[in-house]
Amino acid sequence: MFSKTGSPKLRSAAWRISFWASVAFAFGTMLVFFFLQKFVENDIQRRSDAWLSGEVEVLGNVATRTPKDGLYGRVVGEVAELAGREVPNKLPSESDTNDSVFFLQRGADDSVQLWVGAGSGQDTLSAIVKTTMILDQPTDVRVKGFAVPFRVACIRVDDGSQIYLGLSERDELRVLRNLRIRFLLWWLLIVFFGFAIVFLTTRRMLSHVRRITEAASRIGHSDLNSRVPTTKRNDEVAQLALTLNRMLDRIESSMHQLHTITDSLAHDLRSPLTAIRGKLEMTLSASSHGEQAEPIVSAIEELDRLTEFLNQSLDVAEAKADALRLTRTDIELDELLRVMTDLYEPSMADKGLQIRLHSADPVTIRADAALIHRMVANLFDNELKHLPAACTVTIRLQVEEERVSMVFEDNGPGFSSDVMPLLFERRVKGRESNGHGLGLAFIDAVARAHGGTATACNRVKGGAQVTVTLPRVSRLDTGFPIGMVHAAH
Amino acid sequence: MRLLLVEDELDIQDFLKRSLEEAGYQVEVASDGTSAERLAIDGAFDILIVDLGLPDQDGITLIFRLRQLGVRAPVLILSARRSVDDRVRGLEQGGDDYLTKPFALAELLARLRNLLRRNNPSGNEATRLRVLDLELDLLRREATRSGETLQLTPQEFVLLEYFCRNAGRVVTRSMILDQVWGMRIHPETNVVDVHIYRLRGKVDSVGQQPLIRTLRGVGYVLKDR
Repeated sequence: MFSKTGSPKLRSAAWRISFWASVAFAFGTMLVFFFLQKFVENDIQRRSDAWLSGEVEVLGNVATRTPKDGLYGRVVGEVAELAGREVPNKLPSESDTNDSVFFLQRGADDSVQLWVGAGSGQDTLSAIVKTTMILDQPTDVRVKGFAVPFRVACIRVDDGSQIYLGLSERDELRVLRNLRIRFLLWWLLIVFFGFAIVFLTTRRMLSHVRRITEAASRIGHSDLNSRVPTTKRNDEVAQLALTLNRMLDRIESSMHQLHTITDSLAHDLRSPLTAIRGKLEMTLSASSHGEQAEPIVSAIEELDRLTEFLNQSLDVAEAKADALRLTRTDIELDELLRVMTDLYEPSMADKGLQIRLHSADPVTIRADAALIHRMVANLFDNELKHLPAACTVTIRLQVEEERVSMVFEDNGPGFSSDVMPLLFERRVKGRESNGHGLGLAFIDAVARAHGGTATACNRVKGGAQVTVTLPRVSRLDTGFPIGMVHAAH
Repeated sequence: MRLLLVEDELDIQDFLKRSLEEAGYQVEVASDGTSAERLAIDGAFDILIVDLGLPDQDGITLIFRLRQLGVRAPVLILSARRSVDDRVRGLEQGGDDYLTKPFALAELLARLRNLLRRNNPSGNEATRLRVLDLELDLLRREATRSGETLQLTPQEFVLLEYFCRNAGRVVTRSMILDQVWGMRIHPETNVVDVHIYRLRGKVDSVGQQPLIRTLRGVGYVLKDR
């Protein structure tokens, strides 16, 4: 009914809860009804038996005391009929005689001595003969032509004959059957409605949870202003939302602290860098010729490298903490790759490298332009720095419905096995590499900050492959119908 | 050109003042927002340089206040912050510009010139550019040197056009990347140099006076004398 491969609805918690609740309820009520019915059934039989035992004794007495003359049959018959009238005949029968009760006197020769009831009594007699009867203990006797067995009490008269008094419980049993049918109908109805109510209530409750989950999953990467939706009620779900929001408050405040620290660190390092660079430049313009210029020039170049390293380090550090701040704009990724290819092509050609761009259809993503530009430049730089001459770099842009992947492949030596497991860690670089080991960590950081991924591996045919996958539509812009509650600041 | 420099770091203030004066600006300095406000209202400045991290108030708040007080001069924002925040982008769209520290002096000067030019557009844009014997036809996208047509790719033409527009002035690699390729990136490799090298191979062919000069550690300059 609900397997793991079923539809999402069948796999939902609401469905499971209501299913099992309904099963438990249905089973429980069924059990209670079963015992009640058993009890009523036994009670009916007990009453019938009590009546039968009493009457059969009376009839036995009458039969014993009445002289066996011509009037015997009439007297005993009258008494038996009177007794029978005590039993209501609710079923309309063709004859006036009540066929739910009978009186039979069986002679010693197994013949019908006296019969009061519907028909000739022959069928009843043969049924009784076939049944082993216990004296003073009413027994069920199945008579041909009757669906419901008769309850028959028996007493032995002195003359050797036996008196049987039979009573059909069919009316009671019919009432019981009607009760059963009605119960089943009501039971089905109640179970169905119970299921529906439980399902709807749980689904309603769980939809709050789902909304919280959806909102929470959207919060995170650089968006910490939003809060999960809260309700006015004070139940467990509302508590969950409140707790989550309080947690987000704490995360936001520590994130804010991290930003303050990185900002002031950047500020404290950049201000002296600016002053040093400015002074070096001024000195350079004052003494633009000769040997003094050379050390100043290289100092400026070192400073620029240091600055770029500082920027990337702080970016990677913030991204590792999921705290990179993004300013999203529309970026045409295919166009960006074309421009970058144009920019890097001459340098590649100088090194004897070929570059091939398999351009795709126009594809636009919403992302932080500055970061994406630097990330793509990093990907190109990586190839340019590490590939030996005569290699080919192939760049592919794969556009899927929700994602877009940039694949950089080459037929060079690939990543060396010692750095392979740690490629995206900071400070990890190959022995031959002269970079500062931030490249791939930075690429990974930017991809993650945008809700994407970066993977690197060696190709089967040889060479390295770096793939950056980014979501096409930012999760913030998908416009879920569920309202995001923005915290007031 | 009267310029107001609002910068609290005395080291930076000092070298900026000297470099700007060397470049021909009349420079007034302020070390905090309050004195900057007073100075800006009294003196008619053509352009302002404002550092974002001032001791008494946020640089952006200062710029908003100055705008409210009727100061119309364009502002070049200096930021030592890591990311350029949205408010700065907003100002950038309003006609101001920003530069992150540390920067090359040449780039600072170029951005100042850009801001001033944007503020006083000098009539029609020229359709031909001329630097010594180098001539660019901007409509037909053709470049000639001493009458001989240069075989340039579209990208190289844009690059040469940028050089011609800034003839005699230093342009840095990041300025070239920003203006020609539209990207504020700092590649670890010498991608820009290779482009310049190729362009130079076409513009300064053998036997001619070389026009594109490399200033190591600074950038490039297209000679106009």
